[in-house]
Amino acid sequence: MENRYSLLRIEIRYEHDVVLCRQRSRILAELLGFDSMDQTRISTAVSEIARNAFVYARGGEVLYSVEGKEKPQEYRIEIRDSGPGIPNVKDILEGRFYSSTGMGVGLRGAQKLMDTFQITTELGKGTTVTLGKYLPPSAPQVTPELIHRIVLELSHKRPQDPFEEIQQQNQELVRAMAELKIRQEQLEQLNRELVDTNRGVVALYTELEEKAASLKSANEVKTRFLSNMSHEFRTPLNSILALTQILLDRLDGDLTQEQEKQIFYIRKAAETLSELINDLLDLAKIEAGKTTVQVEEFQVSDLFSALRGMLKPIHLNPTVSLVIEDPPVQITLQSDEGKVSQILRNLISNAIKFTERGEIRVVAEVGERDQVVFSVSDTGIGIPEEYQKKIFEEYFQVDTPLHKKQRGTGLGLAISKKLAELLGGTITVKSAPGIGSTFRLIVPRVYIRPVADRTQTVTLGVLSLETGKPFELDPLKVPILLLEDDETTVVLYEKYLMGSGFQLIHARSIQDAWQCIEAYKPAAVILDILLPKEEGWDFLVDLKSREISRDIPVIIASVLQVYEKGIVLGAEDCAVKPIERKWLLEKLRSFEVKFPIRSILVIDDEEIARYVLKTSLSNTKYRVLEASDGMAGIKVAETERPELIFLDLVLPGMDGFETLERLKSSPATKDIPVIILTSKLLTMEEKIRLSERASDVLSKSAPPADRILKIVQDTLARIVQQGGSA
Amino acid sequence: MERIPILKMGKFLLVSIQVDMHDRLALTLQDELTARIVEENAKGVLIDISALEMVDSFIGRMLANIATMARILDAETVVVGMQPEVAITMVELGLSLPGVRTALNIEKGMEILNSLLQSETQDGTEGSET
Repeated sequence: MENRYSLLRIEIRYEHDVVLCRQRSRILAELLGFDSMDQTRISTAVSEIARNAFVYARGGEVLYSVEGKEKPQEYRIEIRDSGPGIPNVKDILEGRFYSSTGMGVGLRGAQKLMDTFQITTELGKGTTVTLGKYLPPSAPQVTPELIHRIVLELSHKRPQDPFEEIQQQNQELVRAMAELKIRQEQLEQLNRELVDTNRGVVALYTELEEKAASLKSANEVKTRFLSNMSHEFRTPLNSILALTQILLDRLDGDLTQEQEKQIFYIRKAAETLSELINDLLDLAKIEAGKTTVQVEEFQVSDLFSALRGMLKPIHLNPTVSLVIEDPPVQITLQSDEGKVSQILRNLISNAIKFTERGEIRVVAEVGERDQVVFSVSDTGIGIPEEYQKKIFEEYFQVDTPLHKKQRGTGLGLAISKKLAELLGGTITVKSAPGIGSTFRLIVPRVYIRPVADRTQTVTLGVLSLETGKPFELDPLKVPILLLEDDETTVVLYEKYLMGSGFQLIHARSIQDAWQCIEAYKPAAVILDILLPKEEGWDFLVDLKSREISRDIPVIIASVLQVYEKGIVLGAEDCAVKPIERKWLLEKLRSFEVKFPIRSILVIDDEEIARYVLKTSLSNTKYRVLEASDGMAGIKVAETERPELIFLDLVLPGMDGFETLERLKSSPATKDIPVIILTSKLLTMEEKIRLSERASDVLSKSAPPADRILKIVQDTLARIVQQGGSA
Repeated sequence: MERIPILKMGKFLLVSIQVDMHDRLALTLQDELTARIVEENAKGVLIDISALEMVDSFIGRMLANIATMARILDAETVVVGMQPEVAITMVELGLSLPGVRTALNIEKGMEILNSLLQSETQDGTEGSET
């Protein structure tokens, strides 16, 4: 707390203010209880100092106060200016200086008139003079109440004449103006700052726009990159997979145990890489809007039983039980079963990965607003809170030692989330580290197709392989009829012909044999002449006499030496059992020449791709023609008239689309079926365009890559069948 | 603009300062008064400061200046009606009014002036007579 009472403040700006100062100091002195003598002294002293401030410093201020809260109290007047200062103040005060203007008298006189006198002066900075006079003992003690009264009286004390009044008003006006000026300066300052800020905001905004644009283009580049990667990365990978398959199938000779192991590892590595790329592509496809939703009606219980079957092989840990609970009531969904299943598989295999003991439980229930909620709960290591949002981001992997033990591509959850969104649903997670996690897939029970979604879907030509039926004729192979009653011999011949381009059709009786001849039109007959009951010779004669079978060459294989009889009766050759593989194949191939040679054209710029196809078709009746670009391909197609053309889409110069167009517009080649074999990720438009022209579109890696050969063969078979029936 | 009236009384000029003068007003008074002395051919100036509650160094100097200048212009100056407090303060302040005659009030002041004027005329007549 200050040990003083402030009374008044007056600014000295004009000459009149000096007068005002001394008048006020006198009135205050009177109010404080000074006698008239002291009043005169005080006002004279104040007049001197205030004049100095006005004359030498062009103005200043005067502060009136009472110093001290207890007696003895002092009436104090402080006069400040910010003028040039007084250079020889010491001389003046000690009376050694006599000013021609009388200034010295003023300062010194004031000192004499007052009880206390202080002066601080600094050249160039200003001067402060403090004058003080002790209140007379007779005066009442100054209290806050007195001060209040004095101030009140001072303000009521109207100046005696209009001039003084104006003067006082002027004082107030000046003060108000000064305040206004300060306020205005502050406003201007604020305005300047605002303008600067505004400029900054505008700049930031532009920067943000640029950022947004660059982000957008970066995203586009990413999607494009991913699409292109499909071709660039998959092609060599498929080659590796196909070639290792060829090696493992020992089509080119036997392998040592070590070689087999090494090739097996190469294959495993390639498969892992292929899986990663497929995941990436899934994501890119979803993002590019190329994934279509195929709605069908299905039951949760059916979905769950399929899941159980699929997950059996990967769920190997005996300390974790996997419980897939059938819902208490039947839930029927109209959605994409494949995608729901894919998401659940993903969530469950994640749970399996991160759970060492305990239970993984999968349940389904009907949720709010006709939604179905699938929950996958585990008792695994859990996910720390801070990672729970991020795990749905691409390539994100929780960075804890426990999670590091199990590495994946970091795409599983991202794909699952995108798929769930595609179905109009969401995936949520609840987890506590060390306790376990629960992932929930919430999808609408009935899928509602977004308006913009195109309903058109193009099925890729992936054929299912029908197996198990006896003598399913392989159109790629030359059918050979074997009439033999000994099962061991049948197995032996089958082995002989395996991978040779011939298909063995087995008949146990002559009756069988006739049926087979009618049904399959075999290219040759291998005949065991010593059949039980029936006489093989009779059959041979029959065979050679009937029109349907007259031209079919016959090989006689028997334990007996019957060569001459056989030749006479029309057999091509006779051999004594056991016959050798080499001999048999050579014999059969020699007949083959009698049939028109069929060819298949492969147009692909990649040597490995051609090689793989060629190798896979080498065991068939077809001759493989090759062309490395579109132009050459068309030329070969026109001259050789192949049975079938395999066409790659990405070609140097003329691309696959144009090549296809040309092939289909030329009369010489327009009837040749064309199969598009590509690893390019196709757009909807491209698919439609191709489906009009091409017989089939095969993705080089839509099926598991190691089955590609089989699928090529199946597709070829189907087209040959269709061609035959048309 | 405010100004302090200067009255003519016969051969004298009478100034009664009724307001608390600021410095410029004091200087104006000084100028006007000297001009009027010449104009009116005044022989004496009577300045009544009975209304002044204080005389500081500037006003004191102004009074001394007026007296000096009036003397040069052949007029006597008498300051009248100074309050005792003012007088004491002036002394304490170290001010003296050189060449300024003072009187208690206007009456006394007039007497002084008259007597001064008479003695001067006598001196003058004596001078002319001799």
